[in-house]
This record gives sequence, structure tokens and C-alpha cells, in this order.
Amino acid sequence: MIELSTISIFLTNLIILIGIFIIISLSLNLEYGYAGIPNFGKLLAVAGGAYFVGAVSGRILALAYGQPAGLSYIDKNLEVIGFLNNVLSSSPLQSIGFLVLSLIGAAFFGGLLGYVASYPAIRLRGDYLAITLLAMGEILWVIADNWQPFIGGSMGVRIPDPFRWVGSQYRPLAVLLTVLVTAAIIFLYLQYLGRSPLGRVLKAMRENELSASVYGKDVVRLRTKTLIVGFAIAAISGALNSLWTVSVSPKDFERVRHTFMPWVMVIIGGAGNNIGAMIGAIIFVTLRELIVFYKYSFEAIVPFDVVWLEYLLMGIALIIVLMYRPEGLLPEKPTRTLSERRIREIAAQVAPEKSRED
Amino acid sequence: MSIPLLRDAIIFASILTMLSTGLTLTYMTTKVPNFAHGNFAAINAYFTLIIAKLLNINPYVGAVAGFFLGGGIALVLYLLILKPLLDREANYIILMVATIAYDMILLSIINIVADYLSRVHKITSRLFQLREWGYGIEILGQPSIFIIAPLLAAIMVISLYLFLNKTKFGIAMRAAIDNPALAETIGINVNLTYAVSWFISGGLAGVGGALAPLHVTCNTDTGTRLLISIFAASIVGGFTNIYGAFLGGFLIGLAEVLGTGYLAIRLGSWIVPYRPIIPLILMALTLLFAPQGLTGINWSRIRRREGHD
Repeated sequence: MIELSTISIFLTNLIILIGIFIIISLSLNLEYGYAGIPNFGKLLAVAGGAYFVGAVSGRILALAYGQPAGLSYIDKNLEVIGFLNNVLSSSPLQSIGFLVLSLIGAAFFGGLLGYVASYPAIRLRGDYLAITLLAMGEILWVIADNWQPFIGGSMGVRIPDPFRWVGSQYRPLAVLLTVLVTAAIIFLYLQYLGRSPLGRVLKAMRENELSASVYGKDVVRLRTKTLIVGFAIAAISGALNSLWTVSVSPKDFERVRHTFMPWVMVIIGGAGNNIGAMIGAIIFVTLRELIVFYKYSFEAIVPFDVVWLEYLLMGIALIIVLMYRPEGLLPEKPTRTLSERRIREIAAQVAPEKSRED
Repeated sequence: MSIPLLRDAIIFASILTMLSTGLTLTYMTTKVPNFAHGNFAAINAYFTLIIAKLLNINPYVGAVAGFFLGGGIALVLYLLILKPLLDREANYIILMVATIAYDMILLSIINIVADYLSRVHKITSRLFQLREWGYGIEILGQPSIFIIAPLLAAIMVISLYLFLNKTKFGIAMRAAIDNPALAETIGINVNLTYAVSWFISGGLAGVGGALAPLHVTCNTDTGTRLLISIFAASIVGGFTNIYGAFLGGFLIGLAEVLGTGYLAIRLGSWIVPYRPIIPLILMALTLLFAPQGLTGINWSRIRRREGHD
């Protein structure tokens, strides 16, 4: 029998990861599902947010408490972080402040990266854009992996723990709540955005750029705006991930996991539908965690690491969905500008007989 | 420039030329950038490992077999996945995502094979190389890989040129690429020509990948890393021109190795890990100033303009 505490640890980790990936796939859904931008540079945004926390917000905290924040922040990382953790563990207010400011900072940094990414995005055709964004993610990875002063090169860097003050027993729960609340806020914001005139313009642009611009919509501005918001949201998810693991390392963020997997989630869940994107994230994060959880039970049977089956299953599932249900599990729904009751009322006035038949 | 560095550059450029030629060929036919192309090569690097270490066969023989393995892998992608999607008029984003799905499947197979080789047969399968074959065996006093890689690249490039220009099927293929609808009306089997071009593309990648471990250390992520250089090479050459792909592959290959070598001498060896940035910069410059690539530039017009000044 599996012990209860194992299950609760598994579930907490699972829900945290689901929350983190929900945020990423929601951001991709805004960019691809709503605006039709093939952002193959998700890695750039997610890693950007995490690197910001590792490289900037940790240093700012160190500076605030008179600790070395320059090059020696990396060299004496363990000592500095130990000191900061001691400070944070007894001061909830500072901890929460650090958490909130880190997330906001990461969002701003992500937005900046989104602005940089919009430079090619408004000039290049679809597939060239996808390749360029993929390549930009790679540049960030190469820099982070090799440039020591940034986030300690391939060794990575530790970051202060903003959840220490709740006690180690409640820490996972605190992380879980933070992630879920953040994901919920982002979800509500994107739902609102999707229903707003802006959301409808984005869909119009996705369907036909030319006719959107004929109606006076500034396509360049819309694309830039979408990428800034999308990148900012994805960066928050990267920041949450590193605040949870209290470390940032370039190897935590890679192309398959943070660019390709969100695409699988959004396409299978249903592009253009935020709930679909969430369901996609839930399915695939759960699949992965279950495989990892039962990994050692398989170890004796098969001569390879079963974690690799995850990619195989995802690839096959994606191909099947593309062929037989390209709209995804939860297809996009038309945006209602009025409430359903109001639509029925109007329908009853316009064609009384027909609405009665329905 | 030292001799070993120049040799490195030529070998890498030859391998990259094979890869970029294949990528461009499939982009010209199906109009989709194939994100699985890097792993077409990587899977053949493992095939070479199996041939050399498990079966004790000369890996150069494996390179020939790699042509068919790579071709087969590419053909599966086209016939079973892309063709049905094209028939349903899927847009390019869906097609790109489909190649990503295939890439994930290949990546999974590569890692499973690597695990199997190391656990069951105790063969080093991560960060492996077969330089004892590539450099241990000499031809004309040179490392054999330095002779064979450029030779194979040249043979394949020339035979592809002859195939496309001198054979009836090759000319039909070019017609199908230029205008599929028109080609169909004069009785060309467009689907067959596309399938053949995917097979050739995968075959070229297969040979390139099979030769890679004889020259450099390969790993399960070799394909993922290599993909960026391949895309850069194809884009610099002009994504819709097969001769541009030859040129782009060779230029990017030389620039990557010689550029890194030169900068390492000038600035110090810390620059070496930043090597992947070189093809990316060249790609960015191409997209900014000559989005059609080197072969898309109207050189005669530039020359004429200079003549007037």
C-alpha cells in the first residue's frame, strides 16, 4: 500500500505543476488560439521569468539587506541565500513583498522579452516567425548556460525562499495556494479579455489579417500587444516555478518541455478555448506525473527509463487529435456579447414560432 | 588558421550541407518547416553506434544504410501524417505542430534506444563518439572522415543536381514543386514526386547523422541542438532554393567552426560554448536584410547599380 503522506505529497506537487502549466498554456492560447501567432518561443518567456527571479529579484533582496549582490552573489550564493532565508523566515511581510514583487518584476521582464519578440513578429511570415522565435529561446538558453554572472551558468543559482515563514509543514500548501490563485486571476483576466472587443478583434485578425486592417484595426499594434501580454503571463509561470523549487538552472527549462508541450496541451485541449487549454494542461501534467510516480515499478520490466514514454504518448495523441479532431477536445465557442437569456428574448421577439420549436 | 580547425570546419560544413539540402527540399514541396529534421539525423547517429559497437560493422557501411533508414523515417512522416493533413487542407501551423509531434516520437525512440544500449549492452550511449573510425583510419594520410564526409556530400549534391535537371522524373518533380495544380493536369503524379523528395530529404539527413559520431561527440539531444544550425543554413541560402541550401549549409558550417575558432584565439576559449549564436546571428541578419536568402538576392541588379554610380 502507498502511504497517505506519499499520496498527499504527490497530489500537492501535481496540482502545483498543473497550475504552472495551466498558466503557460493559457498564455499560448491567447497568442495562438485567439491571435493566431505561432509562438514557438514559449521557452523564451518561461525561462525569462525564472531567470529574472534568479538574476535580479534575488540580488535586489541581497542589496536591501547589505549582502553582496554583484559577482560574489553567485560565488557566495549559499551563504547569501542562507542569510536571506533567515531574515525572510521571521518576517512574513517581507516574504510576501518579495514574492509579489518577484512575480510583478518577472511579468515586466517577460513583457520586455515579448516586445523584443514582436520585432520579428510584425515583419516575418508565419513559419519564418516560428523558426525565429524558437531560435531566440535557444539564444537565451545558451547565454544562461554559459554566462556565469547571470544565473551561475549551468550550475544554476539558488534563490531566497518567500514561503519559509509558514513553516516547512505548510510550505507546499502555501505554494499550491499561490499558484492556484495566480492561475485563477490569469484565467479570469483572459476570459474577460477574450469576451472584450479586443478579444474579438484578435480573432478577426487571426481569421483574416487583411480584412481586419481594412476595418481600421492596427494589426501591428495588436500583434505587439498580444505578444507582450502573452510573454508576461508565461514569465509569471516561470517565476512561480523557480520560487517553488527555490533554484533556477538553465537545464530546468528546455524546448520540448516548455515550448512543444504547451502546444500539445493547447491543440489537444482546444485552441481558442481557455477551458480547453486548461484541460490540456491537466491531462498531460497528470500523465507525466503518473508515469514518474510509477517509474520504479516499471524499472524491472523494461530496459529503459519509462519517462521517455511520455513524449511518445504525447506525440501519438497529438497526431490523432490533429487528424480526427483538429478543433481539440473542447472546441472554440462563438463569443456571446449578450447573456443567453437576452439572446432568447430577442429571438422570441423576432421569430416567435421558431424559438418555440427550439 | 590551423589545419585541424580547417579540417573540422570542412567536415562539419559537409554534414550540415546534407542536412540543410534535405530540409529545403521538403520545405519546397510541402511548404512546412520540418521540426523533426534534426532528429532524422540523431536517430541515424544511434544507428551508426549500433552498427559499429553492437554488430562490429564498419560505420561507413552504416552511412549507406542510414540513407534508407532516414529516408524511411521521413517517408512515414509524409505519407502517414502530413499527406492526410494536407488532404484536409490543414494550415501551416497545424502542419508544423504535426512535425513537432513526430519529433517528440523520434526523441522518445532515441532516448529509449540509448537507455537500452547502455543498460542491456553496457555501451556508452550518451555523449558517445566513434572517432576511432573517423580519425583512427586514414585515407591518403588524412583522417578518413575528412575525405569521406566531403566526398559523400559532393556526390549527393551533384547527383541531386543531375537528378533534378537531367532525368525525366527529376524534371517532373521540379514542375510539381513550382506548380502542383498545373503539373497534375499534364499527368505528373504530384503525390509520388513529393513522397520521393521526402525520401531523399530523410536519406540526406540519415547520411549526415550517420557520419556525425565519427567526427564529434553525439548525445540524445544532438538533433535538438543541430536543428537550429540546419534552419539557419537553409534560411541563409534562401528557403525555397535547393542550390541555396548547398551554399547555406557550407557557409554556415564554415562560419560556425572557423568563427568560433577565430574568436577563441582572439578573445579566449570562454567564447567556445557560445558557438550556437553564430548561425543564429547570420540567420537574423539574412531575415532582416535579404529575407529571400542569398540566392534570392538579385545580384545582377546590384552590380548594375554599382556600375552606374
